[in-house]
Amino acid sequence: VSDGALARMRRPWSDVRAERMLGALACLVLLIIGGMVAFVFAKAWPSFAHNGLGWFGPDHVDHTVDQQLTEVFDSPAKPQDFRYEVSAWPLLWGTVVTTAGALAVGGAIALLASIFLVEFAPPWMRRLLEPVVRLLAAVPSVVYGLIGILVLVPFVGNHLISTERKESVQFIVQLSGTSVIVAVAILTVMIVPIMVAIMTDALRSVPRGWIEGAAALGVNRWRVMWTISVRAARPAFVAAAVLATARALGESIMLSMVSGSQGFAPNPLDGLTFLFEPTRPLAATIVDNAEGLSVKPFGQTIYAFAAVLLVSTFLLSLAGWAAKQPMKRFGNAV
Amino acid sequence: MSRRRLAGAGAALAVTALLVPSAASARPVDAQAAKAKPTITMSGSTSVAPLAVKLIKGYLKKYPHSTKFKLAQGGSDVGIADVAAGRVSIGNSSRDAKPSDPGGLVFNKIARDAICLSTAPGNTLPNLSQQTVQAIFSGAVRNWSDVPGASISGPIDLVVRTPASGTQDAFQKLFMGTAKVASSAAAKASNGLVAAAVKSDPNAIGYLSYAFTTGLNDVSYQGVECNLRTAKAGTYPGSRNFWMVTRGKPKGALLKFIKWIQNNPKATKLIASEWVPLR
Repeated sequence: VSDGALARMRRPWSDVRAERMLGALACLVLLIIGGMVAFVFAKAWPSFAHNGLGWFGPDHVDHTVDQQLTEVFDSPAKPQDFRYEVSAWPLLWGTVVTTAGALAVGGAIALLASIFLVEFAPPWMRRLLEPVVRLLAAVPSVVYGLIGILVLVPFVGNHLISTERKESVQFIVQLSGTSVIVAVAILTVMIVPIMVAIMTDALRSVPRGWIEGAAALGVNRWRVMWTISVRAARPAFVAAAVLATARALGESIMLSMVSGSQGFAPNPLDGLTFLFEPTRPLAATIVDNAEGLSVKPFGQTIYAFAAVLLVSTFLLSLAGWAAKQPMKRFGNAV
Repeated sequence: MSRRRLAGAGAALAVTALLVPSAASARPVDAQAAKAKPTITMSGSTSVAPLAVKLIKGYLKKYPHSTKFKLAQGGSDVGIADVAAGRVSIGNSSRDAKPSDPGGLVFNKIARDAICLSTAPGNTLPNLSQQTVQAIFSGAVRNWSDVPGASISGPIDLVVRTPASGTQDAFQKLFMGTAKVASSAAAKASNGLVAAAVKSDPNAIGYLSYAFTTGLNDVSYQGVECNLRTAKAGTYPGSRNFWMVTRGKPKGALLKFIKWIQNNPKATKLIASEWVPLR
């Protein structure tokens, strides 16, 4: 490129040029996403085609999903003898349990914390807490994973789970501390900062007049927050929940470290034991088994897990959009 | 793209020593093409990685600035897939060649290693016979009070490796034979994670490469202690091979490096610190 061309590039762009350049960039993003989806599904297809709807079905005690994965990995070399049998329900259920658990606990904590930060906290505390919350949102998940595996997992395994509890289920599953409760706890800590950051912004952008109007009628601050601000900010809460769920769904390294290393579907009917049962969500399964990608049918099965995760994030965005529609009448300002 | 990212994620999972973050981003390297300063890239087995780090350091001490090295981990199968696709120049493998491996690969043997059975420090179990190992890991025996010699009671927690691991492959062959590992076992993705799990759980038993057993209670197997002396003498029945896999016969800088590992007395001494040299 000559100096003349460079100089021309530096001059302010005309609107036409800016439109074309930015348009091309936007289209490129679309192309990349489209290409990625097509690639993952093309790779994953044999696994879905072979199992049909059974892919999403429950596994059997004598033929667990982990044993199925081992068989897929040990497939004979000839393509016509490849084994694909997988019943991924325990992994899907594990994803649902950890994500929903973290969202329920984290959502409640984040909502109350943001109301406090916006309306009740003294200014010095607000100045201290808000940067800290934003900092927490950026902590890499592997750090949380290390804390979990070195501190929380041994604590739960050695102090919270009794020997009787271990023995009561030992023929099906071993309770060693890597469990639903640790996974949900750490996942909650990971998603609360994101939700607090979005929720405080939303509560703060509720029009001042609405709040002052209510206050003028003699309503106390707590009721004003609860009946006016929180209602008006609901679309933003949905956005916060969608973002947090996306992070929880895709979280892999941390969950692979603390959630159990066994493809087991924890059963809520087991009572308290449910919380201590291990599980391994989809994303963690992908990380744990990434070493086997070179074996073709195994790689295709892993891509099938990735495809399901991709689709669920799309569905999530869609659900978020749909949930926001009826709330719009409370105010588009937020 | 996505495949590389996955391999990268696998590599990132390895919490043990890691020289340079990722071979996933490393360009394919032809040993002859880079004339000025040849680069040797490696990925693969988490068991071989600590040995590779030592060998690289030793080689660079002998021939300073002669070669650039990049090392990533990810597991034996990642290494073999990477080298077959030309993403790295050496794939480290702790499992022997399989019929389903891609063609054109050469397995260069560099050392032998012992797979030790370990329990938490609180459980001073002295010895296990092959029969007992199979009974424990297949789930036939599930309580420490049924294991002769165990110093604790309570349910047994099994810690094993994921199906794609070379250590898992070797354990199945050397210890289990045709018996299947119980489905309730917790499968970890690296030696380091197994060591962490066994150390923190008093009821646990696991198997891992000798280099990772510090701080754990080593259990003798068939009456033979798991250490370098017995593995070298060939009396320890649980030892396996370490390979550096190349695409075609190694040439140039690659050949020099591998020949140095296999023949140089200094390299032999480095290997002998924690593993079993070939000569």
